Amino acid sequence: MFDIDATLPLMAVQILVLVALLNAVFSNPIGKVLDERSEFVRSNRLNAQERLDRAKQMAAEYEAELTETRKQAQKIVAEAQGEAQALASQQTTQAQQEAAQQREAAQKEIDQQKQAAMASLEQQVDQLSNQIVEKLLSSVSG
Amino acid sequence: MPNISDFSHMLPLAELEVGQHFYWDIGGLSVHGQVFMTSWFVIGALLLVSVLASRNLQRIPSGLQNFMEYALEFIRNLAKDQIGEKEYRPWVPFIGTLFLFIFVSNWSGALLPWKLISLPEGELAAPTSDINTTVALALLVSLAYIYAGFSRKGLGYFGNYIHPTPIMLPFKILEDFTKPLSLSFRLFGNILADELVVAVLVLLVPLFVPLPAMILGLFTSAIQALIFATLAGAYIGEAVEEHHD
Repeated sequence: MFDIDATLPLMAVQILVLVALLNAVFSNPIGKVLDERSEFVRSNRLNAQERLDRAKQMAAEYEAELTETRKQAQKIVAEAQGEAQALASQQTTQAQQEAAQQREAAQKEIDQQKQAAMASLEQQVDQLSNQIVEKLLSSVSG
Repeated sequence: MPNISDFSHMLPLAELEVGQHFYWDIGGLSVHGQVFMTSWFVIGALLLVSVLASRNLQRIPSGLQNFMEYALEFIRNLAKDQIGEKEYRPWVPFIGTLFLFIFVSNWSGALLPWKLISLPEGELAAPTSDINTTVALALLVSLAYIYAGFSRKGLGYFGNYIHPTPIMLPFKILEDFTKPLSLSFRLFGNILADELVVAVLVLLVPLFVPLPAMILGLFTSAIQALIFATLAGAYIGEAVEEHHD
């Protein structure tokens, strides 16, 4: 049972040969595949991470640009509104002024015509009263 | 060791031979032929499966390549756990070969009906149930860890022997002898005992009763391969370990 003989060294040599052979057909090629794959996965992940970062950065940039543009648009709208307001109020005052002027002119004309009418009326009254006086006088003397 | 095969004329179903070898004479040296025959089978199987698996390597593995990648990753993790992230890589082939050879040997002994092939003398069994194989493996482990220590630290490797205190020196020297002894006898004892238990049970009750012992044997065989490889890694790791003090 404990029969140790030349089997021992020969078996040891055989095992060493097996180590070399298995290294050549098993651990080396398959290990290389494993390493290459993990390298591939790692680099791909890195790449994807980079792209994700870039995409995020771009999104942030666009977001910032969008906010900026919105702000500008609001400013432009506010400006335009202000301008329109100013224009409208200006035109309103102008129109009011014009209206007031026209009213004044009309008032003046009315007054003038009134005066003229009064004057002509006074004249007619004078005439009529003169006629009445003449008629009375003639009837009294007559 | 008594030879139980004397009973075989009463029980023709099975016979049990222990300590009988099929001797080959090579240049005046006698070797155990049955051990070499089964070990060549194991080596051939390992090489065949490896070549088939690595013949057409793909980035996305499938089938045999996937399985062998799993095996290699298992071995790498084992070596990494025992030797450490920095030093483990050059030792993966050695520890992997130990693990695969012992594992396939043990399982071939437990699963294949070697005994159907009759030899003039002795019988075919797992190569690891022969003391020569296990001592050869254990001595290779000893050489490996001594080589690892010297190649890593030069003569500073002797510092390991007096590492915590010089009192440890005799124990550490003793360890160099007990390590291969325990490695070889643990493996040899477990595998031989398993085969004997199964053989004795088969001798007594040929059907069904040996099955639990056989299943237990499969489990023990796998565990023994794992233990051997793990301890080899642990010894190498111990030899290359850096002491900061």
